[in-house]
Amino acid sequence: MKKSILLVLLLTITGIKAQDQYTRGMEKAMKLWSEQKIVDASNLFERIATAEMDNWLPYYYVAMVNTTASFGEQDEQKLSLQLGKAKEYIDIAKNISPNNPEILVLEAMTNTAWIAFDGATYGMTLSGKNVKLYQEAAELAPDNPRVVFGKAEWDMGAARYFGKDTAPYCKDIERSLELFATFKPESDFHPNWGQDRAKSVAEQCKS
Amino acid sequence: MNNQITLFIFLLIVSVSSAQITISGKVTDNANQPISGANVYLEGTYDGSSTNESGGFSFETSETGTQTLVISMLSYEPHYEMGDVSYFKNITIQLVEAINSLTGVTLTAGTFEAGDNSKVSVLKPLDIVTTAGAAGDFVAALQTLPGTTTVNEDGRLFVRGGDASETQVFIDGLRVFQPFNATANNIPTRGRFSPFLFKGITFSTGGYSAEYGQALSSVLLLNTTDVPDQEKTDISIMSVGGGVGHTEIWGNESLSFNTSYVNLAPYEALIPSSQGVRWNSPYESISGEAVFRSKGEKGIFKLYTGFNHANLDIEQENINFEDFVRFQLTNNNLYFNSSYKHFFAKDWTLTSGASISWDTNDIGIVENRIDAKETGSHLKVKLKKSFSNRFSLSLGTELFNLDYKETFIAPDGFEFDSNYNDQLFAGFAESDIFFSNKFAMKLGARIENTSVLNEFSFSPRLSLAYQSSEKGQFSFAYGDFYQNPQSTILGYDQSLNAEKTSHYILNYQYLDNGKTFRAEVYYKDYNDLVKFNTELPQFDSQYSNSGSGYASGLDLFWRDNKSIENLDYWISYSYLDTERDFRNFRERATPNFASKHNLSVVTKYWVNKLRSQVGLSYNYGSGRPYDNPNTVEFLAEKTKSFNNLSLNWAYLIDQQKILYFSVNNVLGFNNINNYQYANTPNVAGVFDRQAIRPAADSFFFVGFFWTISTDKKSNQLDNL
Repeated sequence: MKKSILLVLLLTITGIKAQDQYTRGMEKAMKLWSEQKIVDASNLFERIATAEMDNWLPYYYVAMVNTTASFGEQDEQKLSLQLGKAKEYIDIAKNISPNNPEILVLEAMTNTAWIAFDGATYGMTLSGKNVKLYQEAAELAPDNPRVVFGKAEWDMGAARYFGKDTAPYCKDIERSLELFATFKPESDFHPNWGQDRAKSVAEQCKS
Repeated sequence: MNNQITLFIFLLIVSVSSAQITISGKVTDNANQPISGANVYLEGTYDGSSTNESGGFSFETSETGTQTLVISMLSYEPHYEMGDVSYFKNITIQLVEAINSLTGVTLTAGTFEAGDNSKVSVLKPLDIVTTAGAAGDFVAALQTLPGTTTVNEDGRLFVRGGDASETQVFIDGLRVFQPFNATANNIPTRGRFSPFLFKGITFSTGGYSAEYGQALSSVLLLNTTDVPDQEKTDISIMSVGGGVGHTEIWGNESLSFNTSYVNLAPYEALIPSSQGVRWNSPYESISGEAVFRSKGEKGIFKLYTGFNHANLDIEQENINFEDFVRFQLTNNNLYFNSSYKHFFAKDWTLTSGASISWDTNDIGIVENRIDAKETGSHLKVKLKKSFSNRFSLSLGTELFNLDYKETFIAPDGFEFDSNYNDQLFAGFAESDIFFSNKFAMKLGARIENTSVLNEFSFSPRLSLAYQSSEKGQFSFAYGDFYQNPQSTILGYDQSLNAEKTSHYILNYQYLDNGKTFRAEVYYKDYNDLVKFNTELPQFDSQYSNSGSGYASGLDLFWRDNKSIENLDYWISYSYLDTERDFRNFRERATPNFASKHNLSVVTKYWVNKLRSQVGLSYNYGSGRPYDNPNTVEFLAEKTKSFNNLSLNWAYLIDQQKILYFSVNNVLGFNNINNYQYANTPNVAGVFDRQAIRPAADSFFFVGFFWTISTDKKSNQLDNL
């Protein structure tokens, strides 16, 4: 009896210890990222990912850090390495957590980074893929604010390109803002971004 | 008591395991230059750090015993160091550069690719179809690349002094036996395939892989799309016909089909072709294509099928006949191509496939009839193993079976049958070796055994590439190529040998952010070309392999899509020096299809305000040789040069509706392809002649393209 209590106690201790390590690691990586230490943040997320093989979040963030760092990158070699890495980690994240709308939205963002870099080369092939990704994400999670916002922003971009009215998509942006206001992430580290950008796009709609 | 001791020991272990050891060292490249930003960590733990500016790293760990230290860094091979943690102190680690397909050296000699991410892509898939003058025919778009010769009245690919039969077309690695629509003499043909079913096109103008054979000059490789993006329906209404296409997706399976009906009668009624032709019944065709794909976890299966029925009835001017000469043609073509690719563990890939085609031609020339039937099949298995991203090996074997039957029936009842059957077996092996990011080699060989000629051949292939600077590289390619004589000849005489060429190619390529420059010099040696002693190959001709020849030249290509906003253009120039003694030539000479200078300028301009893409293409070919029997020299005179300026305009009415307008030869240049001379001199002792000109100088095209898809965003711009 005593033994089993002890065992439970020890297991709990090591459990707490591991969890602490994860929380500490993730917090530190988030901090590095917010300080624009891209390489250090990406490396730390990568280390956490290899230690937490069943958790899609660190993989998600490796991809996220490398994708966001690629917007505005002019060096094609660096861009392709970063986005290549992002794609690699998205694929692993998808294997750990299939049918995850957050990962689909991130994948669409990675494609958008390619299109932003060279629309003539990648626009034709990747925009079709993005349409499909946002569609899938919307079917899985019609009320996820990032899905609603991402899809609306993408559609707006296309409408603007063809000189079409963007007003219908502004309604979707407004709706995403309502969803953002009530959105509760599953944990401190689950994706919870996008509200600020949605607000600024909503401002553009009004002006 | 015992329990307390156990507890004590446990707690001790827990606390001991929290004791820290410092791991430190330095990461460099093979030139001992420090690498900063590398990720160094103990595998499976949280312990690690990034290297600093001087490549140094240092971190603490509570792990003990044997651990794996991982060092990972973009663009380098990951490095694993195994050992007791206590040894990981002040260690120095050299990372090896990873082979990079984007910035590293690539084997480019002789090859043009149209794909998405490949570095060697000089054309994007969209370019193929938005080139003015191409009118949706991807073969016509390839004719704007260097190494090709403009043979306006034919429509097929003439590469580096070779005639059109020296180019073979493959879909997903399998031979297409009749890639072009059947047509009459001097009426240009088009490729049978709609470009939008393909994701990548590789056009090799020489020195290609050992995987391909039976092509003396060139191979054109088409790969079908793996997974379509979305379901959609395409409708097109054109001045020459109409078409419907649809893509349906169920999970991992998808089906795309595309049907079209073309009838030139309304166009001919409006703008009749007047130059030496009279259409009794203008070209009419009904065709369909379908691709089914099924993607599993470890493999992908594809089935492509195409059907085409075409007929035409034309009368053409001929100087040896008082009346126009009538030519009737009915062609039926059915083609299947299925392939399966399986990915095994440890980087083994198995590709297997089969293609089969049935082609019948019912031809009427004046009162004579020719019925020809060709059945071809191709089986292929290829195994590839990647030992690392520096070394891979491919092995394969293939079997071709060709069955040809032709019946000639004269109006007096005379009949002559000719036929042959050939089984061609081939095996190939090839390895890709990347010595570094600067130096790569492809080394291969191919063996063939053909039953109809009872001949065995061995062809070595070699390709080398060296990156001389960050943006420039040199490539060299060498290869031997064999091809059996044409069906029409083999039907009459099977004692011949295969024709042979050797290619030597030196290439320089410079890539700089949206700008591409390529220069290529080559020499081609032709041997064992088939000769015969009549004007056209006939059952009673005498055949031999006594022909030979050479071709050498320089190809230049320049493309720039960055310097001027919204403007994309490319310029191709080819210089060709070739002479050959083949067919019924009485001596070595430059054949009629080989012009010395060829120039193409292709421009595309996107006008945002008008939501339009405007394209202009200009083609120039210097005069083509023709033989004047009034002189003693053979093939010594030249036609005037060929000029063509084409214009197209694609207007996006909205996201899914496009209006398309194009004019071929907008300035109406009067081009002359060749001269035909009378067989007998006139009363003054002079051989009369007539110019062979295109049936019409210019061609107009108007089309409306409508796409219906759930996302309301796609359009057929990439089909035009």
